[in-house]
Amino acid sequence: MARAETCFHCALPVPANCDIRVEIGGEQRPVCCPGCKAVATLIRDAGLERYYDSRDQPDPGAVRPAEDAGEWQVFDREDMLAAFATREADVAEATIYVGGMYCAACSWLIDASLARLPGIRNADINPVTHRLLVSWNTSSIGLGRILATLADLGYKPQPLAPDSTERPERAEQRTALKRLLVASLGMMQAMMFAVALYSGEFQGIDADMERFLRLVSFLVTTPVVFYSARPFFAGAARGLRARRPGMDVPVSIAIGSAYVASVYATYTNGPAVWYDSVTMFVFFLTVARYLEMRARHRSVDRSSALASLLPNTATRLDGGRRTQVPVAQLAAGDIVLIRAGESFPADGSITAGRTSVDESMLTGESRAQEKSAGDTVVAGSVNLDGIVEMHVETTGTDTTLGTIGRLSERARYARPAFVQLADRIASYIVVAILALAAAVAVSWYLIDAERAFVVTLSVLVVTCPCALALATPAAFAAAGSRLSDLHLLVTNGNAVEALSRATHIVFDKTGTLTRGMPEVVETVTHDPGFTEQDCLGIAAALEVASTHPIARAFAHHESGLTADAVEIRVGSGVEGTVDGRRWKLGKAGFVPGTAEVPPHDAATQVFLGTGERVVATFTIADTMREDAANTLTTLEKMGYSLSLVSGDSQAPVARTAAALGVRDARAGCTPDDKLARINELQQQGEVVVMVGDGINDAPVLAGADVSIAPSHAASLAQSSADVLMLGDSLQPIVTLMQAARRTMRIVRQNLAWAIVYNVSAVPLAAAGFVPPWLAAIGMSTSSLVVVLNALRLSRIR
Amino acid sequence: MNILYLLIPLALLLLAGAVWAFFWAVGSGQFDDLDTPAVRVIMDDDERPPEDRQE
Repeated sequence: MARAETCFHCALPVPANCDIRVEIGGEQRPVCCPGCKAVATLIRDAGLERYYDSRDQPDPGAVRPAEDAGEWQVFDREDMLAAFATREADVAEATIYVGGMYCAACSWLIDASLARLPGIRNADINPVTHRLLVSWNTSSIGLGRILATLADLGYKPQPLAPDSTERPERAEQRTALKRLLVASLGMMQAMMFAVALYSGEFQGIDADMERFLRLVSFLVTTPVVFYSARPFFAGAARGLRARRPGMDVPVSIAIGSAYVASVYATYTNGPAVWYDSVTMFVFFLTVARYLEMRARHRSVDRSSALASLLPNTATRLDGGRRTQVPVAQLAAGDIVLIRAGESFPADGSITAGRTSVDESMLTGESRAQEKSAGDTVVAGSVNLDGIVEMHVETTGTDTTLGTIGRLSERARYARPAFVQLADRIASYIVVAILALAAAVAVSWYLIDAERAFVVTLSVLVVTCPCALALATPAAFAAAGSRLSDLHLLVTNGNAVEALSRATHIVFDKTGTLTRGMPEVVETVTHDPGFTEQDCLGIAAALEVASTHPIARAFAHHESGLTADAVEIRVGSGVEGTVDGRRWKLGKAGFVPGTAEVPPHDAATQVFLGTGERVVATFTIADTMREDAANTLTTLEKMGYSLSLVSGDSQAPVARTAAALGVRDARAGCTPDDKLARINELQQQGEVVVMVGDGINDAPVLAGADVSIAPSHAASLAQSSADVLMLGDSLQPIVTLMQAARRTMRIVRQNLAWAIVYNVSAVPLAAAGFVPPWLAAIGMSTSSLVVVLNALRLSRIR
Repeated sequence: MNILYLLIPLALLLLAGAVWAFFWAVGSGQFDDLDTPAVRVIMDDDERPPEDRQE
């Protein structure tokens, strides 16, 4: 079978030796595992096959099979409903965070599936914020059934407490849109009347008509100044109160003084009004702010990102009685029961039982940790194989997980903010223009009083800083929209600028350079009676019921065999009967005759044996992404220094670094260590790009100058990242770096053009060589040149 | 030219109407999700789910 074949459902490569197929759209499609087959079949049987035609990009890890649907039943209970929903009579409404959805096709799939359930009144899903607002009749359906339906589709639903809804963000978005519209309509109207007033200057205009047009301009400009420009005035006031005036101050002075001067001129019948300049300036600034806000909202909501790692409910033991409670109700001192496959709801210590725990998302350590009574466990890590009881010590934001979240928030704010240079220049220029215009008016009044007004008008029009104000946002918007076509989502407007200056790229290992999931890399048989295929098939049959990460390595090798009487030996392996023979699969020492095998340095070894002897040895390791080596070589050629920081242990990190030719590799790093390393590089003057996917990478991602996360990354990492890479390859990083350099080249060209234009036109206008109509043409051509130049970025490949 | 004294106020009234209509549209959530509706129009046809056809 061709190695290049990818799973029709999740787009991960189909492993060799795997031949599971599912019929979709009249064709046999390859899938990578029984779980994907189950989800694909479910989607097909529900008549929703068109999901596959219209989704943006098959997303690895986006839609994965649900683990256990039974857990959702608890949400049908009254107290759960009270905790997560608001209700009126028998209609309840809840907000559900839907993890794992990425595109419009996902939202359609959810919509269509919910519409089939009885009693659903309304389902409103927002693919940008991943939130589903659903209302239903409590007499015909329960919350549990709704959640189970979402989970069956492969999403990770999580009901949110009613107070954590998206209202503030949505309100901000709506207000910004209204402000933008008022500014744009006001600008168009003001410009239209300005054209009439300008031409009146040449052809003569009735004095009454001139007064009337000025009055009308005043009417359309006033809402723009008092409604659309309000954030600028508010920002300026805030800046002055805090004694740290930002760019809002000169902007406000420019808008305010031009407006007041115009109103005064309108009232006293003065020589000129500047309503068109005022509205245009407000409009362009509002557009820039709106684009920036939309990009910001695209990044994943942080509060729910943290919470999505925790289970929704926990089983509390109250003196022998088991009660299912929402995790928010847990308190220090509670004893909680955690079954295999569940994640720990809080930090604490194990009081009874033995298990192995997957902490890879939190620490980067790729191997499972053995834990027994007395050992500490952290919230968010996954209990793999045993049933344990734990004593809760800290909950919520005080847990390790919460601390990591806070750490990344702090790093995000501590990052030196890139000041919007062009905006700042533009606002100073507006002030300068007003001063210059006043000076020109006074000088010309002394030289030739009759021409004073026309020349002043030309100076004002010709110097309109539109091109300057547009130069940066136009280029960033064009680059951002092109990059999103190329499956690179830029969530922070400043990222492109910082990317273009980048000198050093730091990679995380597990899940970024490697696939982050174990695969069988080598099979050695010690018994001529069994082929590699036989051994893998037996191992897969034994591991079917297991939730241990090692078991996932075998999931692709199922051959139709079934195991009976399977017993899981916590911390050792599994035992079961296949084809009438008793088999053991597990670590050295568990399988007879394996104790003397020397432990392998980087990979995990698993042995398969009968009661008496060992039959096969499997080497299991986290494999490298196929394009990792290529991408890193290209980046090195482009002149970037590369580093590797990982929370994993020394041996696997060294092996990966050697394979990729990365000289600077550090192992065993905590999130703090990683952040310290980044800061150290920054102090040496490097501009650091961080690429990572784990929770433990979140603070580093936030602290680096620019951060990139793959789309399968933990939501906390995604929310800390400036750029999200959709898809399953590293190659887009190269495209991104090239695009960033090109974007900044265009920005510099634009700024240079705008400055040259303004600087050369002003003396001519002030000297009286430019009539107002020519000035108006010059101004609009200059803006047009800037926009067209920026649009060249949409041809990036 | 006197007609302008009538037409311009009329245009302003229309403008006010347009702004009001837009504010209403924003307020009723029509601009909250700009991605899904574009695709939904292509996907939502009258095809019945298979379980209905089998019966």
